[in-house]
Amino acid sequence: MRHRAGLAALLGPPMLWLVVVYLGALAVIFATAFWTTDPFTNLVLRTFTLENFRELLTPTYLGIIGRTLLIAVLVTVLCMVIAIPFAFFMARVAPRRYRGLLLAAVLVPLWASYLVKAYAWRTMLQPEGVIDSTFGATPGFGLTAVVLTLTYLWLPYMVLPVYAAFERLPESHLEASADLGGRPWTTFRRVVLPSLLPAVAAGSVFTFSLSLGDYIAVQIIGGKLQVLGTAVLQNITLDLPFAAALGTASVVIMVLYLLAVRRTGALENL
Amino acid sequence: MRLGRGAKLALTAFATVVLTFVYVPLLVVGVNSFNSDRTFGWPPPGFTTKWWEAALQAQGPRDALLTSVKAGLGATAIALVLGTLLALALARYDFFGKHAVSILVVLPIALPGIVTGVALQSVIQNVLGPVFGIGAGLFTIIVGHATFCIVIAFNNVTARLRRLGGSLEQASADLGARPFTTFRRVTFPLLRSSLLAGALLAFALSFDEIVVTTFTAGPESQTLPIWIFNNLFRPNQAPVVNVVAVVLIVLSVIPVWLAQRLGGADAAESRL
Repeated sequence: MRHRAGLAALLGPPMLWLVVVYLGALAVIFATAFWTTDPFTNLVLRTFTLENFRELLTPTYLGIIGRTLLIAVLVTVLCMVIAIPFAFFMARVAPRRYRGLLLAAVLVPLWASYLVKAYAWRTMLQPEGVIDSTFGATPGFGLTAVVLTLTYLWLPYMVLPVYAAFERLPESHLEASADLGGRPWTTFRRVVLPSLLPAVAAGSVFTFSLSLGDYIAVQIIGGKLQVLGTAVLQNITLDLPFAAALGTASVVIMVLYLLAVRRTGALENL
Repeated sequence: MRLGRGAKLALTAFATVVLTFVYVPLLVVGVNSFNSDRTFGWPPPGFTTKWWEAALQAQGPRDALLTSVKAGLGATAIALVLGTLLALALARYDFFGKHAVSILVVLPIALPGIVTGVALQSVIQNVLGPVFGIGAGLFTIIVGHATFCIVIAFNNVTARLRRLGGSLEQASADLGARPFTTFRRVTFPLLRSSLLAGALLAFALSFDEIVVTTFTAGPESQTLPIWIFNNLFRPNQAPVVNVVAVVLIVLSVIPVWLAQRLGGADAAESRL
């Protein structure tokens, strides 16, 4: 009896908060996705409809969803391509006494404000900015700028788990592979990469989901680029049910992604 | 794995390029805070300290900073209490639905912030406002931030509890201590440093948050990120925004340093 009372006392307050404040709010917004708005007053009418989801399947919104997925995939791949050799350098090549410093060098920008970093790229990419005057041209504000900036923003989220995985990798495995005649590249491909997979997948959960949901950086350096996040934002005041449907779409994509990477054991790595 | 000289050199060169890529934009923001050109033409035509003087005089960022600190402290306090309770419940008891609870606590940071934000906004507009007379403001910012900060405190405390096991608490109970005494004299002192690390992380997360805040803040209560975002596109405010950005970049060294002192690199990395 005492056991149950203790559990209830511990579990009660946090569950009350999470269920009432969070799940309650989420449930309402998902229900809203099946409602409609009055075309004259823009007020939400509580009549069931699938119209919002049908509108998601029109070319305009399929295009936006496709573009958002493309950005998330490109950012994730770029983060992997940069993070794997960099983390390998940190963990295995750099002299041991510099490792702490290197780690701090990766961590400091992670703690720097998100907005400041997006803003920094705005000043880099603007006409007559650093890139323009150094290289004589700038990609300007748009898809390229968004991919570049998001890669910059989420890179540490990929570097850190991969670095941890390299650190955990026993030296003896690498030696065994070399003793059996594996050249460095073969060892890397057959021994290092497979043991890296869960860490890369864990990092990709961050790079993918953060890119999928982002709309602030897109507004700062994306020019007129439309993604899921900006589409949600534009519909909130005039058509909340449709905004809710768009939000639901991004949640569904994220859940599917989580289910896909769960098989690699990534979620235990988070 | 024996790497050839060439491979080592190539990797070193690559790492140098990556670190340049990471730090150049931040350095440019720093240099631009002294750029005499109002639109930050590059290279700077001249240098001036007038933007720093203007920023020190400006009331907007100072008020926003105060709001951010209040929101961060409030959210951290709530998150620490709720996160610790939840961690204790999950670590020390077995019950039906345990797995679901551990997923529920992660959801607020796993789902896109805009979804959480819109959801909370509609609760403020439809329930808190009409029923309780609470409008969007500092209180609603704290509620939103606390919701996604719970998981930070929870993770830190859970990791510590897992490492400690339950034997010390059992010993305390065997010696006749009541549950609250055991918590006060045994569990809490053991948890203290993980609570500090959790508090640091939760505060930093709250301090930097903009998406959920956009939907829970009222017009009178701007946090620092909201202030920056609102002034980012105003050409005559740009130099002041830039100075605030430099201050924030310099400040970001503090949590890394503190976390390293508190619990090695683990604490700083658990920003993930």
